[in-house]
Amino acid sequence: MAVRTSKWGWNPAGWQRSAVILLWLGHGIWVLLGANPGRHWTSVAEAVSRPSQSLASRWETWRAARRETARGLAGTRAENARLSAELAQLKTQAAQEAPRLSEAEAAVRLLGLKRQIPLDLKAARVIFSTRPATFGGMILDRGQDLGLVADQGVLVPEGIVGRLWSVSGTQSKVLPADAPNASVAVMLMRSRAMGVLQGLGSGRALIRYVSNQEVVQVGEAVLTSGLDRVFPRGLLVGYVAEVAQSDLELRVIVHLSAPLDRLDAVLLLPPQPPLEVQPPFLAPVPKPQRKRGTP
Amino acid sequence: MRIPAPSATRQNLLCAAALGLIFLSAPFPGIQVILHAMLVLALAPRSGDPLLGALWALAAGWTLEGSLRLYPHLGGTAWADLTLTLLAGWMAGRWPLEGLKGWLVRLASLSLLHALLMHGAVRLAAGPHPWGLGWFWALLSVPLWGWLTWRLLHAGAGSGRR
Repeated sequence: MAVRTSKWGWNPAGWQRSAVILLWLGHGIWVLLGANPGRHWTSVAEAVSRPSQSLASRWETWRAARRETARGLAGTRAENARLSAELAQLKTQAAQEAPRLSEAEAAVRLLGLKRQIPLDLKAARVIFSTRPATFGGMILDRGQDLGLVADQGVLVPEGIVGRLWSVSGTQSKVLPADAPNASVAVMLMRSRAMGVLQGLGSGRALIRYVSNQEVVQVGEAVLTSGLDRVFPRGLLVGYVAEVAQSDLELRVIVHLSAPLDRLDAVLLLPPQPPLEVQPPFLAPVPKPQRKRGTP
Repeated sequence: MRIPAPSATRQNLLCAAALGLIFLSAPFPGIQVILHAMLVLALAPRSGDPLLGALWALAAGWTLEGSLRLYPHLGGTAWADLTLTLLAGWMAGRWPLEGLKGWLVRLASLSLLHALLMHGAVRLAAGPHPWGLGWFWALLSVPLWGWLTWRLLHAGAGSGRR
């Protein structure tokens, strides 16, 4: 049977030819499909969609980075607000505690002064000040309840303040050293010249009865002489601010060292203290012996 | 001098015998691939009657791949066998045989093309795979099975070259 000479159509040769073509195409399609029929389409789709996937990946990465940045910024803002509130709270707390801290510092300094002077010193708090008024003074919160009497010396670590003018049951009034009616026995530190300090007001005072033969320098320290039996010898009063000659005596102006307008607490000397007060002997603390080779 | 085509009965019997040998020689791949090439390229092609040859070629391909049990997706060898058998049949009609030498040359070139097409189709169907040396043995033994098929098919058909 010759297929080559037969015509196309529904004859045996055409059937044969169609069957062969179908067999060949069927097997070819079967081979092309392979083990995983979708892999070709998958690879083609991957190749086609690779640019868009790359763009989408970059877009998503950018969005994620932006989201992370925004989240970080929001977190930073929240942290900033929290820290600002905490700072304001701490400032308020510090402002509230500032007076207490100042009192504590003053108390510490008073305690140091009390340790340096071997006398029975008593402490009191200044509750009111009448210094702006004429013959004004300071009111202490302790009086006869603490055993106070008039003419007890009052001092602070910076220097003397004055003396007790009047004592009541629970309060006492201090006559400051710069009051016009106040007087303190003093001496100059370098020349050892003695005199009497009289107040001029506003933290200033005048030393009287210093001979004009004495040599007094501006800036020289002025100490208590102890002759008034109110203060022992050697407490700081102030510093010479001005020296002027007059007919019989020197006119020595002194700036008191104690801050009379800013006092919170004071120490009170015992009545009629001794003339001389020596600071207590403090034995030096021996250094610990180190063994050789130890750090 | 044109050599007449062998009888269809003889050709089908020889194809059946070769197919049986392919099935039975599965433990010996070197021999199996030679028998396979002989069936596909020499015994099955028939000018003017492509359907039976195509069926024998498909049977040879499926038998070989089925006995190998190597590939995850079968069919590549069968498709290559079908293509080469159709091509060989067309060549037999287009360029009729004139002697043993031309027959051997034709078989050698068809063997080479068959090896290339078969491995390409298997790669398409099942993916990368080892080629092995079967194609080489088939090509090397072309004179042997070419002469044998010449004797069995064409030499007894009144050609006067016995």
